[in-house]
Amino acid sequence: MSDTNKKTGAGSDMTFVPEDFALRDEVRWLKSEDLNLFSFIRQSMNKIEPGYVSTYPPSECGIATFCKDVATSVAKYTPFSKPTIIAVKREHEIEPYERVVRYQILKEDRQSYIDAAKYVNDSSIDIVSLQHEYGIFGGPDGEYVLDFLEALKKPTVATLHTVLHSPSPNQKRITQEMGKLCEVMVVMVKTGRQILLDGYDVDPAKITVIPHGVPNVHRVSAATVKRALGMADRQIISTFGLINRGKGIEYVIKAMPKIVEKYPNAVYFVLGETHPGVRKHEGESYRNMLSEVISELGLEDHVRFNNRFLTLSELVRYLCATDVYVKPYLSKDQISSGTLAYALGCGKATLSTPYLYAEEVLADGRGLFIDFQSPESIADTVIRVLDDKDLKESMETAAYNYARRAAWFNVAISYLDLFDRVLRRSGIVKEEPAG
Amino acid sequence: MEMDLVIGVRHNGAIPIIDLSGEVDAYTSARFREAMIELIEGGSASLIISLLKVDYIDSSGLGALVGGLKRSTENGGRIVLLCNNPQIRKVFEITGLEKVFPIYEDEADALSILS
Repeated sequence: MSDTNKKTGAGSDMTFVPEDFALRDEVRWLKSEDLNLFSFIRQSMNKIEPGYVSTYPPSECGIATFCKDVATSVAKYTPFSKPTIIAVKREHEIEPYERVVRYQILKEDRQSYIDAAKYVNDSSIDIVSLQHEYGIFGGPDGEYVLDFLEALKKPTVATLHTVLHSPSPNQKRITQEMGKLCEVMVVMVKTGRQILLDGYDVDPAKITVIPHGVPNVHRVSAATVKRALGMADRQIISTFGLINRGKGIEYVIKAMPKIVEKYPNAVYFVLGETHPGVRKHEGESYRNMLSEVISELGLEDHVRFNNRFLTLSELVRYLCATDVYVKPYLSKDQISSGTLAYALGCGKATLSTPYLYAEEVLADGRGLFIDFQSPESIADTVIRVLDDKDLKESMETAAYNYARRAAWFNVAISYLDLFDRVLRRSGIVKEEPAG
Repeated sequence: MEMDLVIGVRHNGAIPIIDLSGEVDAYTSARFREAMIELIEGGSASLIISLLKVDYIDSSGLGALVGGLKRSTENGGRIVLLCNNPQIRKVFEITGLEKVFPIYEDEADALSILS
């Protein structure tokens, strides 16, 4: 894609996701072309400098991707600020991070968390945005995160990617301590807020709901994209994300014979590679098991794996071509799902097992629910959607409209607003240096 | 692709008003920018941009506005916004651009500042 097309958002690929650094670019050009206007704008604009603590790409995990998305989206509105990433990494990994990663925490090195807090305390970072999931930090249940927070002297907003209904005593302790040490805890659905109130006794004034962000994708007809993919006559069912046993993909595969009986051209795309952590411990045994099921059922022409990292544009293209998106998760407790959010953002007719996040975001006709571990339920519901064009269209429209408010550019404003409110409450307001 | 931004141009007296309806984002802001530049280069240095029917604006929309402001000030003009949607107002407030662009809810007020 040429620079011109990036700038205009034009181009023959209708699923192209344009970059939007226009504000930053305009300000940069102003500096050389109209210094007075540049100075006026610099003086006027928000200069919050967030520091993000999280795993970060190229680490392959949903939270790393989330962190990059939120940091990038916020930065687009703050052209005079310098975001900082404090990346959590395993000791033996050498990650070719982007320059925005200015400090690294060694996951299992407890002192590294205290050193990172000192780094933040001595830096120009105004506020810390911490992405939390027990597994991404070191120590039992990731408890080293508390060492970081205890040593930190800057206000912190923690985004919780996991809120367990039935935590272990240690998990509960960690979350409760975080509730005391952080200014705000962000959850992505109201259910998460309720669990924190009921199960963890977190101060209600400290909990806020900001939805999981989704790429800014304008709606295109699946038929158009399918033609471009050479799949005009196929009914496309898809699932995407890092693959592991908890995803329940085998149940969709086992549903395919019944779907194919009614729709002989149906094809199920499994988009994404095996989770690197899983691959390290058990290799491709789950995917191999799925392949065996495919062979046993004679589904070679009806199930396709795309076992590699997909760029955002590739992913969006497949999602836009999809007729029915299926999320067959096995765990009821899941409180966020970037992949489900993305499917809604692309305006897809979505089916999911009723895990906590899905129950809320697919309510009110935005999706349909399938039973856990039930090929029969999956097959019947997929067929119901493919049979009923009006139902499919109404699900797609409701999903798209709902997710539009969660486009990253809107989510970024919510985070920026939150950062600003926390800093004002803390009495920290960034002043423009004189001159 | 659906037509996600409708751009209308009208005049109230000598002042051109660009009426935007829909979403001003990375897909659509280039067209908005072109409309502004066409008017400014056609001799209308000052503009009113109506965001009254805008559902969403992203940073590329703000970038287009800053680009338009540069062209406008080069020609001795100003850009004034019409907006009554609290979510859109929030974008200007939180970025600080409300200090750069005068924002009014009422077209008559916006016109009076340009008179």
